[in-house]
This record gives sequence, structure tokens and C-alpha cells, in this order.
Amino acid sequence: MRIRPAGLALFAGMAIVLSACSSSSTGNAASPSATPPPDPCAGVTAGKAHTAPTDWSKAKIGVVTDIGTLNDKNFNEYSFKGAEDGATALGAAAPQSVVPKDQSDYKKDIQTYVDQGYDIITTVGFNLATPTTCFAKANPGIWFVGVDQSPICVTPQGAPDTTFACKGDAKTLIPNYVSLAFQEDQAGYLAGIVAASLSKSGEIGAIGGTTLCAPCVRYIQGYTLGAQSVNPNIKVTPAYVTRDFSAKAFQDQAGGKAFAENYLTTNPKVDVLFQVAGLTGNGVLDAACAKNIYGIGVDVDQYLSYPAADKCIVTSAEKKLQKEVSDALKAIGGGTAVAGDNTFNAKNDAIGVSDFHDKASLITADTKAKLAAAFAAMKAGTLTTCPTDCGVGPK
Amino acid sequence: MTGASTGASTGSRIRDVTGTVWAIIALPLIAILLAFGVGAVIILGSELLVGEPFDPLLPLTAYAALLQGAFGSFDAIVDTLVATSPLVFGGLAVAIAFKAGLFNIGAQGQFLMGALAAVAAGVAVSGQPPYIAIPIAVVAGVLGGAATGFLPGFLKAVSGAHEVVTTIMLNYIAISVLAALVSGPLKVPGSPSPVTYDVGNAGYPVVIGRDGHIGIFLAVIAVFVIRWLLYRTTLGFEIRTAGANPDAAAYAGMRPRRLIVLTMVLAGGLAGFAGVDVALGLTHQMTSSFGTTVGFDAIAVALLARSEPIGILPAALLFGAMRSGASLMQIKAGIPVELVDVIQATILLVLVATPVIRRVLHLRGTQNPLATSPTISRSYGSESVL
Repeated sequence: MRIRPAGLALFAGMAIVLSACSSSSTGNAASPSATPPPDPCAGVTAGKAHTAPTDWSKAKIGVVTDIGTLNDKNFNEYSFKGAEDGATALGAAAPQSVVPKDQSDYKKDIQTYVDQGYDIITTVGFNLATPTTCFAKANPGIWFVGVDQSPICVTPQGAPDTTFACKGDAKTLIPNYVSLAFQEDQAGYLAGIVAASLSKSGEIGAIGGTTLCAPCVRYIQGYTLGAQSVNPNIKVTPAYVTRDFSAKAFQDQAGGKAFAENYLTTNPKVDVLFQVAGLTGNGVLDAACAKNIYGIGVDVDQYLSYPAADKCIVTSAEKKLQKEVSDALKAIGGGTAVAGDNTFNAKNDAIGVSDFHDKASLITADTKAKLAAAFAAMKAGTLTTCPTDCGVGPK
Repeated sequence: MTGASTGASTGSRIRDVTGTVWAIIALPLIAILLAFGVGAVIILGSELLVGEPFDPLLPLTAYAALLQGAFGSFDAIVDTLVATSPLVFGGLAVAIAFKAGLFNIGAQGQFLMGALAAVAAGVAVSGQPPYIAIPIAVVAGVLGGAATGFLPGFLKAVSGAHEVVTTIMLNYIAISVLAALVSGPLKVPGSPSPVTYDVGNAGYPVVIGRDGHIGIFLAVIAVFVIRWLLYRTTLGFEIRTAGANPDAAAYAGMRPRRLIVLTMVLAGGLAGFAGVDVALGLTHQMTSSFGTTVGFDAIAVALLARSEPIGILPAALLFGAMRSGASLMQIKAGIPVELVDVIQATILLVLVATPVIRRVLHLRGTQNPLATSPTISRSYGSESVL
């Protein structure tokens, strides 16, 4: 085992080059025609033959959240609350929850519920879309409810489509998979109306978690259009904390605060700031409060969920996660559930801006009228709240 | 007469053996029991805080569910072994560095780079027959990890930069490199979220149960290979000597710089193999948030095993079982998965505080514990290796 240092360095250098080569070559080799369609459902098997219960008060309901924590004052927490409400409405036992520790847990966590004979399994977040599709296909007797997993993209055989051609009709191929999605741009539009009405400088801002999060981008696109509907000359400056799905995007409150402080130094005239970045965004609200400008929360009524920033939270752009998850469970129990993609928007009162609480005096009757008119137009389907590249973030 | 004396010596030998075994397993056993005790106290305490009807037996319910989830059925046992296999590779990666007196906190970064290289190569060869595709992806992954391990080793050898610092930093670099590549060149065009193609034929074949892949067996083989390497080869002897007494090693004509680099490359390769195990055996593709805590858990595994290759097996099995059983524990007892983290952290804390525990419990080891298992206290700040 006598290896000279030079030889060693050569070997390691080769290793680096090799690994670099292998990663760059895949950029070209990524033509799916050359490779047989892989099976993303490998290892997913059906549980014991399961039939939906006739008495839903005996139903077992499970929730798999995304990585993070159940009590995130946001997405996971309110989806779970929805499942709790739904279980109560069905008269069933309180739902159980599993929080995956990382990506390798998704399949296993869903499998555990399947093996335990659960009747309804709710999965939260788009990261769980593929495993949920696989398990729903393999277990037609179990109902699956997915939050933010639309559009369900399947092949004509009902398997998850890794090429994203999406030729299959999920609604008929997987009739036990209810996917809930929200039209975030409508909620953002309403928040934009509030922001533009409050701004004295004519400059407002928005900070999203990552350019890759389509719902985040939709919120901000709607926000921009809503603000422009009030003041066509308003300057809206969106910014994104990161361009990938690292922890910085949604789980880094201190990083969010630092990012927003920088942002506000660069854009000193911004006097209303909208956050679309989960826990990172709570740091954005902290920075807004520290600079004595207004902040707008996201997803849930953040005046209630994040009281530390109550000083400056005017309102929040809401999607009614809790209600829709609960309603989906009730519909399953009542036999009226609709499989496939279910989109929620103003038409079913599933989006809106939350109560103004102690800032109510700031909101003029004129602003309220504009909000009501916009909401009515959204209901009627006559208002465009998202540009043509809806959900596509800046490159 | 002779028979009686033989009997007596056999008896004392048995006593010797049990004494040695006890000296080896006493501390890990105490650490584990103590950790589960702490976990039980935390469960009871949290019950009081939550304000639900107090159930004094909840810790037992939780641990029973944990046990059932880990070993309750054939599928559960296979799942546990699957969760164990990357921890074995990771544990070996940290242990071999410990043996050389190096503290490899970078197993996580090496793990990620190994997984990334394996997926990148696996996607490129996903259409080839498995007997070609799998070896290529595995070798790419191991090299990816080895290259990541080489850097801190090289830096230490040439400049004395402490590997604790450089490996921690490299962990963050690895996270960012992975996110950049998966959201960039490796991303499936048209996918709404950053995700790579499936590795197809480069995925490990499933040989037992519904997801028991060949990585389980590779892990066991790796343990014996590393054991052989450490105790039956010149290189292993040099690694151990450099770890036990760098000055003596240098005096004996061994070259510490070369050993540092070589050990870190080996450690990186093993951690990379752990990444290969997860990527090719379990996830088959990669998202930009890919990452498990394998690299960090591996440190606890290595400490629990006192850096002995054979000890890695039970230590990794314990951690794998806790990971695997955690789902059922959450479902049946409503105890969040974080409890497993608490237990793991307590085990680690007790092991690191070894001298204190020994004194408190009046435990006597057959040898100075620091001589048999170089731990943080020894490794940290030991730039004098040069």
C-alpha cells in the first residue's frame, strides 16, 4: 500500500474530474427517448385489500405533512387543523399526523398508514405528489387528499409521468385521489389593492421564498396586478430570497429578516411589504415592523398566527386551507367527493384577505368598495388576476 | 487434580471474557438506557404541558409502537434494515477517521456529493443493462464522496487547516452545489419543481420483501472489509498508529500527511457510498432539498460503536430501527418524530461525557477508554499530527 503523494493527488484529481464529467454529461443525455420510462412507483405495494367504510364515524384518518414541523403556524398546521375539523364533522376519531424527517421518508410514512388500514390519507405539499399518486393508484379502496399537488400529472396508464407530458386523466384513472389547489393570484390581487391604497410613496414590495414555487409567484403576480388596478403608476418591486428549494426559502426566519433589511436598504421608498415565504417570511415581517412600514401576511391570518408582528401586519392574503381540507373529508364521507384537480378561488369563497383587526381604521370605505368589486368580478370570472406566464418565476 | 485446575481456569476465563464484554458494552448500554429514560421524562412532561388527560403509561405505548414499527412484521424488519444500511456506511466513514485521529464532521457533505454523483451518473446510464449501470453509478458516487473527503484531508496536510472546520464548511458547500445542479442542469425539463430523472436501471435491485435492496448486504460486506483493512493491512496499522500516537508514527517512518489525505479519501468514499445507498436504493431520483441526517447520525453511530467496525453494525441498527419505527410511533402514540432526535442526542451527550459517567457510576474499563476510542476530546485541536 505504498502510494506516493503525487499519485494520490492524481487519483483524487481524477475523481473530481470524473464526478464533474458525470454530472455535466447528464445535461445532454437527458433525452427520455434513450431511456426506458422508469417506474417512480417502484416498491409501492397495495396494503391489505381495503374497502371504504360504510360508517364514516369509524374512519381512521391520517395526515402526512411535508418536512419541517407540524406547528409551523402555516401550511402544515392549518392543513392538519382542516383534517381535525373534517374528522369531527364525520364523527370520527381525531386524525393522526406523521412528519417526514427527509425526502427518503415520504413513501415509508404513507406506507405505514396504508399498512395500518387507514381510510383517508391526507398528504400536504407538492413534494408528496408523486408518492401520493403511486399509493392512490395501488390502493383504490383508500381515499387520498393532496394539498397543493395539482395538476396531477399521470400517464395514460395512471402512473406518475416523469416526463411531464401529462396525457392521462387523473380523475378517471385514480378516482380515489382528491387534489386541492388554490388560485393564489386572486388572494394576492386583493392584497395588492390594500397595499396600493396604503402606500404614500407609490412604491410597494413583495418578497417570495423561491422563484421555483409556483404558488408564491402567483401570489406576487396577482399582487402586482391588484396594486396596478388602484394606481397604474405604482412601482412594485418583487424579490425572491433564493432560486432553489433550500432551507433558506421557507424555513429560515433570521435569513428572511436579513434579506428584507437589505431589500429595504436598496428600496428605501417601499412602504408596504408582502411576504410569501413561510417561516422565512416571518423574518420579512419582523424587518418591516422594525422599519415601521406595513407588512402583509400570507396563506393564513398572520395577525393571529404570528402575533410578534401584529404591530405592522395590515392583513394577510389567505387561502382557506383549513376549510377546504375539512370540506374534502366531509365530501368523502358524504359520497360527494370529486376526484382529480379541484381548484379553489373566489367562486367558492376559498381565497380572500383576512380581517384588518386593529388596522381597520386605515382602510377607507373606497378601498373596501374596491375590494368588494374585485372579489365580485373574480366570482363572476371577469377579472384577470394573473398574467399569461402565470406561476412562472423570473429566470 | 488436573481436571479441577482446568475447570478453575475455564471459570476464570469465562469471568475474564464477561468482564471484557461488560467493559466494552457497559457505557453504550448505559447511554442507551439513560437516553430512553430521558425520552420518557420528556414525554410525561409534554403531556402535562399539553393538558390532555394524563396517561402515565404513554412512554411505554410510544416505545412499544417504536419497537413494533421497527421489528413488528417482516416488512417492518426489512424497512429497518434499509434505514440501517446508509448508517453503516456513514458510521464507517466517521470511525475510520477517528482511528486516524481525525474528526470527520463532513460525512454529511460527502454523503450528499456521493448521492449527487450517483444520481447524475445513474441518470446518464439509466438505459443500460443493470450489470453495467449499477457499477458505474456506484463508482461515480463513491468517487464523488472521496473527492469531497480529499479536500479537507489535502488542506490539513498542506496547511494544517483543521478538518473539523473545513469539513463543516464543506457540508454547506455540498448543500448549495446539490441545489444548484438539481435546479439547473440535472432538472427534468418541464417539471414544475426541481427534480432529476429517475436512475432507472442503475437503481439497486430489490432482493427481499418490498424494498429490501442489495445495499443491505453491501453494508455488511463493507464492515468486514474495513475491519480487515484496519487490522490486517499495513495501511490499517499506519492509520491506527497515527491516530494513537502521531509522534511515534512519524518516528517510525510513517508519513502522517499522506495518511491524513488517504484516510480522508477513504472516509469520503465510505460516506459517498452511504449517499449511493440512499439515492440508488431508496429515492431513485433527487430533489433540490435532497438530504437526510445520515451524515450527522453517523457521528453518533461511530461514537456508540467506539469506532470499531464490528460495533458499527449494532449501533447503526439501533439508529435505523428508531428512524424506521418513528412513523408508527407518531401514528399510534401521537409522539412527534423529534423524540427520536432527543434520544439520539442524549446518547451522544452521554458518550461524549464518558469520563464523567465513568466516575459517577464507578465503572472501570480494562483500558483507558481514550486509548481504545479516540473521541472528540482527543481529536479536537490535534493539529500536532504534523
